[in-house]
Amino acid sequence: MRVTDLVVAASIVALALLLSYAMFLGGIGPVPVRSELRTLALNYILLTYNPAKIVYSALAPEGVTAIVWDYRGLDTYFETAVMFLAIISVVALTHGCKVKVGLGKGGMSLIVKTTTRILMPLIVLAGISITMHGWLTPGGGFQGGATIAVATVLALVTYSIDTLAKHGIRKRVLLAMRSTGLIGIALTAVALLIVGLVVGANAYIFQNQERVGSPLAFPAYFSGTPTGGSLLFYNLFEAFAVSAGLSLAIIVTSLREEEVKETLRGEGVE
Amino acid sequence: MIGLIAALLMAVAAVTSIVFTYLAIVERNLVQAVVFSAVQSTMYALIYFLLMAPDIVLVYLPVGVGIYPAIVLLLIKKTDKVDE
Repeated sequence: MRVTDLVVAASIVALALLLSYAMFLGGIGPVPVRSELRTLALNYILLTYNPAKIVYSALAPEGVTAIVWDYRGLDTYFETAVMFLAIISVVALTHGCKVKVGLGKGGMSLIVKTTTRILMPLIVLAGISITMHGWLTPGGGFQGGATIAVATVLALVTYSIDTLAKHGIRKRVLLAMRSTGLIGIALTAVALLIVGLVVGANAYIFQNQERVGSPLAFPAYFSGTPTGGSLLFYNLFEAFAVSAGLSLAIIVTSLREEEVKETLRGEGVE
Repeated sequence: MIGLIAALLMAVAAVTSIVFTYLAIVERNLVQAVVFSAVQSTMYALIYFLLMAPDIVLVYLPVGVGIYPAIVLLLIKKTDKVDE
């Protein structure tokens, strides 16, 4: 690190500090200071878990998950779709490449491998716990799924891509898991609509609890604990889809040259 | 008192993240740049935690410190380690 680097970094920090001080004094414009909550935020907080007004409530104590998958469910659905479009394009880049066993040296030393073997179940458990408490405490499907995918990264780095393939974590399996998650999310979104068609009652897309003009609802309690109705299923399927999708991206990027070259060359000749 | 400590910690984390962002941009050794970027992500996670957004922290930690550096390191491994 040179002296010029330090000087530039220090001046950037000084600029940021001076700007924030000027902002604090009101030099850039009036700063909105609010001691009370805005009406919109207050509505969400008061209605997230409100058995007295089920028509407006998600019956889940965790406001963020309720907003993400119930009040603004369609937004999240298309966000998920965008992410999976990205993963699909990553997979499409290496279409037709297969993992070959016996190319690598077999990973890191025994100490690292043993530590990973102890850590990996704990990481997966933490991810499942984050997912399954998503409607009660901070967390949810994406968070849990990303945590589970970290376990795949660890295994990939300390063992090898061969070991993952031997234990059944292959591209095809992960693609199937990812699609299962996506189909699950889509089915949960229209589940009450289908039930409504069968029973002959009114229903909405992305409906969770009873709404105005529709008596249908997902079960809101399981042995006394709130399940958030449809939020349980959304979180579960999202965790499935995200953990499989991110693991897939990692595995595809770590494909070795020998595996990719052949396919790419073959396509170039044709 | 606790609010003041949280604000001070946030300020320190924000300033540190600025320094590490700058280092990540100017660093020629790409592996080191990724490590700097991961430190910056950790600082952001701390700021999110202090701003009482635990949902974001839970997604920022695995993605910002685990998956994103892993993917970039894998890509660097296949190309040059030093930016020419």
